[in-house]
This record gives sequence, structure tokens and C-alpha cells, in this order.
Amino acid sequence: MSATSPNPPAPQEAWFKYGVATLLLEMAIAIAVSAYSLYMTFNGLGGFPGKH
Amino acid sequence: MKTHKVEQLIIATVGFFWCFLMWFSTAAFSPSIAAHYHLSIAALGLLASSAIWMAPIGRIIAGWASDRFGAPHTFAVILAGCGLVSILSAFTTNYDLLFFERVIVAIAGVSFVVGIQHVAQWFDAQEIGTAEGLYAGTGNVGAGMGALLLPRIFGTNYHAAFAWLGAIAIVIAAWYLLRGRAAKSAERRATVQRRSNVRGTVFVWSRYIAIALMLAYAMSFGLEIAMNAWLPGYFTRGFHDAILALGFSGVAGVQIAAGTFAAVESFCASLFRPFAGYMSDLFQHKGWTPLPFIARTLPYAPRLHWLGISLILIALCMIGLTLAGLSGSLHASVLVLVALGICISFGTGGTFALVPLLFPDRPGAAAGFIGGVSTAAGIVYPLVFAGGANIHLGYLHAAVFMFVPVILFYFWAARYELHPEEHGLISQAALAAEQA
Repeated sequence: MSATSPNPPAPQEAWFKYGVATLLLEMAIAIAVSAYSLYMTFNGLGGFPGKH
Repeated sequence: MKTHKVEQLIIATVGFFWCFLMWFSTAAFSPSIAAHYHLSIAALGLLASSAIWMAPIGRIIAGWASDRFGAPHTFAVILAGCGLVSILSAFTTNYDLLFFERVIVAIAGVSFVVGIQHVAQWFDAQEIGTAEGLYAGTGNVGAGMGALLLPRIFGTNYHAAFAWLGAIAIVIAAWYLLRGRAAKSAERRATVQRRSNVRGTVFVWSRYIAIALMLAYAMSFGLEIAMNAWLPGYFTRGFHDAILALGFSGVAGVQIAAGTFAAVESFCASLFRPFAGYMSDLFQHKGWTPLPFIARTLPYAPRLHWLGISLILIALCMIGLTLAGLSGSLHASVLVLVALGICISFGTGGTFALVPLLFPDRPGAAAGFIGGVSTAAGIVYPLVFAGGANIHLGYLHAAVFMFVPVILFYFWAARYELHPEEHGLISQAALAAEQA
């Protein structure tokens, strides 16, 4: 992968790490809900959370 | 008044979340409404489709209005107006009037571009992807939360739900007016306001790169909303026997399984969107430009490459969906679908990490055009999917005959190493007059 630096990268501000933590949490929720839903469905137990 | 950009991001995200909750609240209660008014299947379909009617034109107007009057005023008007009509709809006993009122409430969906403009006015170039991703991704969850929670909280009492949703929308509108600020600086605000004229709008609409981003968003978000409508029917027909083999029985059982597969795709497409914006920021931070043809020296070139990769991944997933379907493997099909949902989020997040940087003086007009016109694609895709002799081949047709041309056009439009926004359908003379 080629890497060019049109502008030198600016340092991240303090809020950014909380923003990244939030997006990681959202991804974890997406993965957990998807895995749980698919487990339920593929085992014939029900569907999207709580829908039997 | 002292404020911080994170406060502005939170206000915009909460406003957008609530607007999306209101936007899809009609769909969440459509079985109750249908039972109350004894609606036919056709009438139910009309009610479901009405949610999207106002989006294309409404987003264009809302984008322009946010440039002209500022995001806080525009957002507050949308929230308060839709909230008031939602409360009125709670007391309506005539179905025709209820239908009309719910079409008005669905205008809440246009708020997306207003928040995009608001966030763009506060965050700097190196963090815009994450900021816009957090706004759009978190706000988008409102649609899923509506479907998931509203029927559980209110049961079949949609009257109470519409009244509460409207009342809280009015409270958020007041909060937006009280604490929202249109831009980080008066200078930035003045520049955007000065450029918000008809000529500026035509300028944005005629740029090759704006058209390419609009098509990219049609290929990602347009596909997402099309899949929401299409997938339950696809799994019911394409994998009927495989679903029965899982242990489900009857129409209701098959519907639950098919609906779950569709919901998982939608969920991933929403909740991975902030990550997609972060990846755009990461590409920018690292200076990654791996694709051929696309510009390498523009200040935001790595973001163009990230979006290009996302579009290629979406097309590959669509081909994979056809192959999995033809193989008859339900498990493989669902796995590809999860991957498609994630890749769609890469496309949506990647697009709006670029829009404010390409059109910094007209973020609302650009967001309105790209986020508005592209929603029409949601109507087109299901027709393509249903048009083939085999139900699994529709994805391949869409990938080859629609997505590959869009990707080629994107590569072509993003190849300029200097000011891609200067290249468009309007002549240089007209462009010079516009810039004067």
C-alpha cells in the first residue's frame, strides 16, 4: 500500500479517544446483537431479540 | 454563550435520532393501524412506502435551508413541525387524515442533511470522518430502535406513541434552539450563508465529483433502504425450505426468520458507520492511497481511496450474495449479507467523510443533493432484484450493470489532482461568474 502525506497529520484532540471508544462500543453492540439473533434463528429458537 | 463542538455533536445526534424514530414510527405500528382501519394489503403497502416520499426533494430543500438559516433553526423547525403534527395524528379518527398527517411527520427524515451540515461547521478536516460517522451512525439507530422498542412499550396503542414522540420532539427542538450554534466561527457561518443561492446550488449539482458521490451514496445508503424492504421477501421465497428445516413453521415462523436476516444487515449497516468514518480518518492520517487512477496528492486523497475500496467491496458482496444464493446455502447467504451490511456502512461513512471537505462553503447544498437524490435508488433496486428469471441473480445484475459503471465513473471523477470540484457540466465561463 502506498503512503503519501499531502499534509502532515494533525494531532488528535482530547475528545477523539472518547469518540473512538463510542464507535467501538457501537460495533460491539452490532456484533453481539447480530450473533445472538443469528444463533437464535439458526437453531429455530426465534428471531430478532425476543421475537418468538 | 460558551459551548463546545462535542456538545453540538450531541445535540445534532439526539435530534437526528429522534427524527428517525418519528420517521419510522408509522411502520412500527402499521399492523395496529391496519387492524383498526381494516386496511387492505395495497393500502398497507401505500402507508409503508409513504415514509420515503418526501425524502428526495425534502433533503434538497433542508440542505439549502441549513446553509441559509443555520442548522439549529432548520432542525428546530423540522422537529417542532413534525412533533406538532405527530401529536395531532394521535387524536385523528379519520384514516385519510391520519395518512396525510403521517406523510407530514415523515418529513422528519430529511433532518439527516441538516445535522451533516451542522457537524461539518464545527469539526476540522482530520476528524470529520469520525464526527460525521458518530452523528449519522448513532442517529440511524433510531429507525431500528423504533421497530424494536415502540411496539413493546406501547403495545397496539399507537395514539399514545405518536403523542409522546411528538411532545418529546418539541422539547428537543427547544433544546436545539437554546444550545445549538450554527458554526464554530462567525466567519465560517457568513461564508456558507453568502454562498447559499440558486447559482451555488446549480454549481454543486453540476460537479462530476458531486454526481459521483451521489451515485456512491445511492450504491450504499440507497441499497441499504432497498434491502430493508426487499430482504424479508427474498429469504421467504429463496430459502423457504431451508428456513422450515431450521424448525420454523407456518407463515409467521418463516416471516420471523426472514425478518431477522434482514434486520441483521440493517443493524450492521447502521452501527458500523462510525467505524467507517474512523477508517476514513485513519486513511487520511496514514496517507494511504492504494488504488490506481484516483488522485494521490489532494489534501483529502486518502479518503477518496477509502471510498473507492468501499464501493468495490459492496459490488463484490453483491456478487457473493448471488453465488451463495445459487449454492442454496442459507448460512453462506447470511454471512455474505452481514459482510454486505458492514461494507454498506463503509460506503455511507466514507461518502459523508468527504462531502464537507469537497464543498466546505456549501456543505448543506452538497449534503442535500448527495443525501437526497440518492434515496430514489431505494425504489429502483428492488425492481432490478425482482426482474430476473432466478431470484438470486438480481444482485449480480445490479452489481454488473449498475455498480460497475458507478465505480468506473467514481474513479474517473476522482482522478483530478487539483480542485476536482472545478470540473463539471457547467462551462468555465459560467463557473467564473459563479465564483465572482
